[in-house]
Amino acid sequence: MTTAAPQLIQATLAQLNKVIHGKEQQVQLALTCLLANGHLLLEDLPGMGKTTLAHALAHVCGLEYKRVQFTSDLLPADLIGASVFEQQSGRFRFHPGPVFSQVFLADELNRATPKAQSALLEAMEERQVSVDGTTHPLPAPFFVIATQNPQSQSGTFPLPESQLDRFLIRLSLGYPNPEAERALLKGRNGRVLLASMQQVLNESRLKALQSLVPQVKMTDNLLDYVQRLIAYTRQTEVCHLGLSPRGALALVKSAQAWALLQARGHVLPEDVQAVFVAVAGHRIIGRQESQGEQLARQILGKVDVVGGGRG
Amino acid sequence: MIWLLAAQLVVMLPFLFDLPLWLLPVLVVVAWWRLRVLAGAASQPGNVVKLLLIGLGVGGLLLSGLRFPSLDAMATLLLLGFAFKSLEVVQRRDAIVVIFIGYFLVALHFLYTQSLTAALYGMVSMVVLTGVLVGVQQAITEFSTGQSVRFNLRLAVFMLLQCLPLMMVIFVFAPRIAPLWSIPLASGQTQTGMTDRMAPGDIEKLGKSDELAFRVTFKGKRPAQHELYWQGLVLNHFDGHEWRQFDRDYDVYQLKTALMSHYRWQPERMQVQGNPVAYEAVYETSGQPWLFTLSPAVEVEGDVLRGADYRVMAQEALQAPFLLKAVSYPATQRDVVLPEYLRTLALGLPSTGDQRSRELAQRLRREAGSEQVYIDKVLARFHDLAFEYTLNPPTLGDKDTIDGFLFDSKRGFCAHYAGSFVFLMRAAGIPARVVVGYQGGEWNAAGQYLAVHQYDAHAWTEVWLAGRGWVRVDPTTAVAPSRVEQGLEAAVQAEGSFLADSVLSARKMPWLNGVRQQFDAVQYGWRRWVLGYDREEQAALLKSALGDLSVGKVALFAGGLFAAIGLFWLLALGMAQRRQPEAPEHRLYRRFCEALAKRGARREPGDAPGAFAHQAAEHLPALAEVIREFTQVYEGICYAPPADGRVATRRLKTLLGKIR
Repeated sequence: MTTAAPQLIQATLAQLNKVIHGKEQQVQLALTCLLANGHLLLEDLPGMGKTTLAHALAHVCGLEYKRVQFTSDLLPADLIGASVFEQQSGRFRFHPGPVFSQVFLADELNRATPKAQSALLEAMEERQVSVDGTTHPLPAPFFVIATQNPQSQSGTFPLPESQLDRFLIRLSLGYPNPEAERALLKGRNGRVLLASMQQVLNESRLKALQSLVPQVKMTDNLLDYVQRLIAYTRQTEVCHLGLSPRGALALVKSAQAWALLQARGHVLPEDVQAVFVAVAGHRIIGRQESQGEQLARQILGKVDVVGGGRG
Repeated sequence: MIWLLAAQLVVMLPFLFDLPLWLLPVLVVVAWWRLRVLAGAASQPGNVVKLLLIGLGVGGLLLSGLRFPSLDAMATLLLLGFAFKSLEVVQRRDAIVVIFIGYFLVALHFLYTQSLTAALYGMVSMVVLTGVLVGVQQAITEFSTGQSVRFNLRLAVFMLLQCLPLMMVIFVFAPRIAPLWSIPLASGQTQTGMTDRMAPGDIEKLGKSDELAFRVTFKGKRPAQHELYWQGLVLNHFDGHEWRQFDRDYDVYQLKTALMSHYRWQPERMQVQGNPVAYEAVYETSGQPWLFTLSPAVEVEGDVLRGADYRVMAQEALQAPFLLKAVSYPATQRDVVLPEYLRTLALGLPSTGDQRSRELAQRLRREAGSEQVYIDKVLARFHDLAFEYTLNPPTLGDKDTIDGFLFDSKRGFCAHYAGSFVFLMRAAGIPARVVVGYQGGEWNAAGQYLAVHQYDAHAWTEVWLAGRGWVRVDPTTAVAPSRVEQGLEAAVQAEGSFLADSVLSARKMPWLNGVRQQFDAVQYGWRRWVLGYDREEQAALLKSALGDLSVGKVALFAGGLFAAIGLFWLLALGMAQRRQPEAPEHRLYRRFCEALAKRGARREPGDAPGAFAHQAAEHLPALAEVIREFTQVYEGICYAPPADGRVATRRLKTLLGKIR
């Protein structure tokens, strides 16, 4: 299994890239997120293939998949389920909601009211749901892919920073490149291709891959670099809100998963750089109105990769 | 802000000992008002109230009868302003003004007292003020009040400790400039200790005081206790009631004139003999110019006056502790040839009064064959007729005091014996004079010095004998030999009158006596080495350290020390902040980057080694292979440690050589 890990990963990526054209980087990040056992936030305009990516991920991993379209009248019970009185037995029985699934796609998360949002976000963090005093564990793996429209769009409830922090990685897909778009126009539509996808992973294989992530080595030199990055985000003249320890942990974990994706047993600064914008972009807030992602890119350019004490 | 008030009170407290007492209620009321303001229960005073307060303050100042201008009046005014200022502290700026005035007041208090305790208290005040200054600068306190106060005080202590070396340098090197103007001190300054007149009852008063008069360190052997006669001044004139120096009272300036003209010191009139006694004395502030030496002090260091009676006297009344270094030769013969002027002074008696004593003197002189025999007879009379030595003699009235003592009361203190003895000598035609000063002293073994207190005050006599000059005769020894051998306490032990009025005196408690002596030793050190560090001391010290003195040399040396201290702190700060040195592989990598940068491939800080190697290899195809390998080895060392890092590091060096 271990020796087969790189091949497995390559096969998975190949399947995903077949469906999502020309977005290798984003596809890799999405898989990184899955391997690091974190939740993924896809933020983009409507119609950019967010749902397709979520579908494809669930499909290729062979996981049970449910999707809920979030609307402003969505209630928490619609997500997590409710206890219903059954006449035959004469008692209440819990009907699990769609959140009881291995891959849960929360489409247009920011269209729902904060109440519904927070119900989901709590489930994500605790990996369990409490209804009527009973705690129901969620299936494992439990992987939430949420999509959201940019907040400038009307009719949205922006997620607060504390809840954004629960997503390991935030991605935007962006417009496809001309070739990919041409292919799309020619009818190689993602939804059509989904059917032709092979299931490469299954639950146990995914778990095995996930268990490999923490084994990817990080030297003191690398952690020095990570700490330099974190310290830089915390300098008040740079950011209004620096990276929290949870954010730092997310960065390290993602970098390990990314290194695993590159079939490497140790983390390189390149791995940290590759995930930094996606991990830190939604966690730091600039002094001015500048976007977190731009800021994250600037920080990457400023912090010296090389250096450190005697390790 | 409550800490500002606390700091203000700390600073103002010591002034209450020296300034008018009505300041105390003013301070209390102002503090109470301030507390009410802080609690939100009262408002800050309006303009009318402020004017009223100023009026009251100035009025009180006028009514308190302080001379204007004088230090006291000015200090009181400043203190009032300082206290009132706390009522209108609104902004940070106000608080800073208050703190800075506080610093000034701390310095001002040293004009009143320079004791060790005052210095320590001044340091405490400085710490509190600095702590409050730190606190005032903090925009937001992240701690609770207690925590932040502790933090601020700790910071203040640390900051002041850092100033200590600079303070030392300034203390040692700053020129001791004679004052350009003298502060009009002294309106509240009291005179303590010996006065220039001696009436029956004067010295007993001193005998009941345990205040310190001066301290002496001997260089070499310490003379025996009964030889320690510290001569202050000589009293020549007797008016039937009290003894004075001259036939009329001289003020300090007239006295100075006399000491420079007809009463001047003439060293050629003494024949130096015997063993020298070298010593240093530090005299306490007395408000009087008298200094006390073992007569005759042949060599004296310091700016002093000297007189025909071998006295040593300060130029001014002592407003601060005074250091004198002297070498005395107690066996010296003085005035073997007595000038007529001094003979007249030493024989003068009032024309009438004390008739019985005069007759007694003439009768005894007739019976005695020589002057020496006569002296012995008089002393024996004191002894044989059971005269009593007491701190509480009966009063003798205004007339015929000598008769009253010699024939009626027969109870007296040293002044009675000295006065009547000189009277009897003069009545018999022998030149004699009263000498007042101190006798003995308390040996402090901890500090190796002699402490002379007011209760060691003593009066004795000098008799002029042909061929021998002035001879010291202490009639008290005839009555109470223990006074001279063991001190006053032993002499009046039976009577129990020693320091009878000061019940709480530490010397009454034997277990405290050791502590008292230790503390006294520390204070003496302070007096001698800190307060006594004057221009001469400075010059001597600098001379011993630097050789010949020149302004440039001293300035250079002091500047050098300043620079050294500055450098030390700079290094200490730099050391604390300096990063750990980088590991060798990182240094090699940086050199690698420099080498490539020279060839046009520059690495930005954010470029990871792998990414940079890629760019550089494209830019410099000739070196592509080396660049790749170097990067690979480097990445290996940094991110996937090989078994032997040293081999890899060596490889890095070789590769670096290839690039260069």
